[in-house]
Amino acid sequence: MKNVLAMILAGGRVDELDVLTFLRPKSVLPFGALYRIIDFPMSNLMNSGIERVGILSQYRPFFLMNHVAHGQPWDMVGRNRFAVILPPFKGREASDWYKGTADAVYQNTDFIRMYNPDLVLILSGDHIYRMDYQDVINFHIEKKADLTIAFTSVPGEGADRFGQGLIEDEDRRGGRVVRYVEKPRKALFNWASLTIYVFNPAVLMDALNENAREESHEFGRNIIPSLVDRARVYGYKHPGYWGYTRTLEEYWRTSMDLLGSRPRIDLKAWQVRTNLAHGEIRDRQPAILGPSAVIENSLIYLGCEVRGKVFRSLLFPGVHVEEGAVVEDSILFFDAVAGREARIARTIADIGVRIGAQARVGGKGGELSVIGMESTVPDGVTIEPGVTVYPNVEASRFARSEYKSGEIIK
Amino acid sequence: MRKVVALLLAGGVGSRLNVLVQYRAKPAVPFGGIYRIIDFTLSNIANSGLTRVAVLTQYKPLSLMDHIGDGSAWDLAGRTRGISILPPKTGEKDWDWYKGTADAVRQNLGFISSDQYSDVLVLSGDHVYSMDYWPLIDFHRGQKAHVTIGMIPVPPEETRHFGTATLDGRKRIVDWQEKAVKARSNLASMGIYVFDRQYLVKTLGKTRDEDFGKQIIPRALKEARVYGYPFEGYWRDVGTIQAYWDANMDLLKADSGLLPEASNIRTNHEAEGLPYDRPPARVSASARAVNSAVSSGCIISGAIENSILSPGVQVEKGASVRDSIIMHDTVIEEGAHIERSIIDKEVLVGKNAAVGHGNAKRANSRFPDHLYSGLTLIGKQAFVPPNTRIGTNCIVYPSVGEKDFSSLKLGDGGTLEK
Repeated sequence: MKNVLAMILAGGRVDELDVLTFLRPKSVLPFGALYRIIDFPMSNLMNSGIERVGILSQYRPFFLMNHVAHGQPWDMVGRNRFAVILPPFKGREASDWYKGTADAVYQNTDFIRMYNPDLVLILSGDHIYRMDYQDVINFHIEKKADLTIAFTSVPGEGADRFGQGLIEDEDRRGGRVVRYVEKPRKALFNWASLTIYVFNPAVLMDALNENAREESHEFGRNIIPSLVDRARVYGYKHPGYWGYTRTLEEYWRTSMDLLGSRPRIDLKAWQVRTNLAHGEIRDRQPAILGPSAVIENSLIYLGCEVRGKVFRSLLFPGVHVEEGAVVEDSILFFDAVAGREARIARTIADIGVRIGAQARVGGKGGELSVIGMESTVPDGVTIEPGVTVYPNVEASRFARSEYKSGEIIK
Repeated sequence: MRKVVALLLAGGVGSRLNVLVQYRAKPAVPFGGIYRIIDFTLSNIANSGLTRVAVLTQYKPLSLMDHIGDGSAWDLAGRTRGISILPPKTGEKDWDWYKGTADAVRQNLGFISSDQYSDVLVLSGDHVYSMDYWPLIDFHRGQKAHVTIGMIPVPPEETRHFGTATLDGRKRIVDWQEKAVKARSNLASMGIYVFDRQYLVKTLGKTRDEDFGKQIIPRALKEARVYGYPFEGYWRDVGTIQAYWDANMDLLKADSGLLPEASNIRTNHEAEGLPYDRPPARVSASARAVNSAVSSGCIISGAIENSILSPGVQVEKGASVRDSIIMHDTVIEEGAHIERSIIDKEVLVGKNAAVGHGNAKRANSRFPDHLYSGLTLIGKQAFVPPNTRIGTNCIVYPSVGEKDFSSLKLGDGGTLEK
């Protein structure tokens, strides 16, 4: 088996996710009533037998370090196994903050040289999917490629947010990439990049060195287009599920793929692991469903207490839904509380949010409502769909009893 | 600071728990969905800040040893902290099996011989409770006692299961009875002892006493300063099927006093050795789930009521589970009905089977003192064929398969063995 070194681009926060990434990097955004988004690539790596991982992070890396815990949850602690966080460091001459995805890897070329891998696998830490990376790697080897990129069918809307490729039909798995355009204004080709790259190290190093002299340092915008014409760049068509989480609406929709009688995301079949020793997960008691609880088509984890009604929702560890409260089509992160007779619909409530008694948040139609970490919505307040509440907003900051769609409460 | 070393006696057979202890020691019996009975004592030790612990095992220790691991789930692993598992070892003679609780400690005297310990806390892994041991230890030291026994009031009709004591104004034990039917006091021993280390070492050295409750304590009452420390709080001896069922159901009562998470009771989720973490419980659109405890990995599409579900339990569409305890990865198939049953791990209850319904007055004919209150027990990895009727006070042994059922009916009080 090839000696593969994986590097996960887990750095940034994402503007479209708004208050959910104010205080944390995207890769540790909670997902699926238990997990963090980075658990998906980490579990995929574990299940693909790739146990040497560098994680590139620059925004509030503490949360990521705490969660990744040297890779122990994914069995990556050992003499030849590791998962290390690679934060940006101050260069000899200046403060060399990561200036783009390619720059992040470029600044860690000594890390790659140290382990002298046969192949470098570069992943982004913000998608929900299951993939055996060995399939892509075998394809890469078979095709004698310099670079192999995984693709999925271009989604109907928002094509301008993806790198798009024109792939020759060599076999059902994919073929040579003949054209590649990063984020074109409209859909040009049928295949969207998943930001999963298998590189021959020499090709990667040369491309990074060359790119270092330029202004922009992104794999999608700079490295790939420059390689398509002069190297063997292949496209691998990922046949399975792919969940985007880059906007609130996408995040919510991907989350809802966990529900239904045959969920598109099958967590058990995917063999996903997380950090069970994480302070927000460990030492919880079984979920308690009270005598008047109604719960349908939902996920709940240990430590939840449900005395009200829950429909089509995800409840992370420690969520309490009090008597008479109704929670619909919503995602409540760790330790969020829905007070007595509160009504919550199409809402994402971050860690530790308290929604007061008889408050109304969101609604069945309209945009999602988002409530930032540790904020409190006072008793009886009405928040229409599409309202954003910032993190750490205290009850006393709510001057009115009603907030209209589009308002932002800071 | 003078240190305390804790000895946890986890060798108990717990035979009244019947098939639940066929493959595991009593302290390893699952409890409250995600716990094992020993988690309560281990967590109490950790929460009391004690850092040196020995677990003395004997009877069917494998699942217990897996569960304890290196103790890190209770933060008992580290350079100055640790948990040691002490199984019986063959000594000078070929066969030095522990002959009793005190004998078990005698055979591991080395563990408590260090002068750095002033006191030895002897605990059992058989009880469900939450307790800070320091007030007990401080009391013991304040009284300059040789032995202090943790005590709790029990209903008068229960005294026959316990040692009971009468205390004087300074809480010194002035009267002691062992398992008396009509005891003079209802203050019962919790099986928790603090010993002055030197007194314990000396007594174990000079006598051949094998058991704490039967010999060491009565001897100490005659020759030493023995005190009782009354404890107030939730404490249950879950040594019988009925007591075990009752204590599990306390998890569903808001005012029972059993609050594992609030009491910081921990377990070791990773001991299951699964290649993945159990996902959140999924409750389907067709489910009806009330007054129940649900664990990770459960998939509920049927009805559950007044029940405790361990991780990975599946209740299919049209099935119902009432007043029952269902352990890890058991599957209740479509249309099956379960009531007042305790179903061990990895059992398959086939379609349209009915378990636990019947006339509770007919006790189990083979074990009338184990099952008499209208509960049915199904052993680990048993298979209950579709359409089978199993009554109440019944026992189905572990690994019973389809061919072991000669008919599709097991009447009240019946027992089915492999």
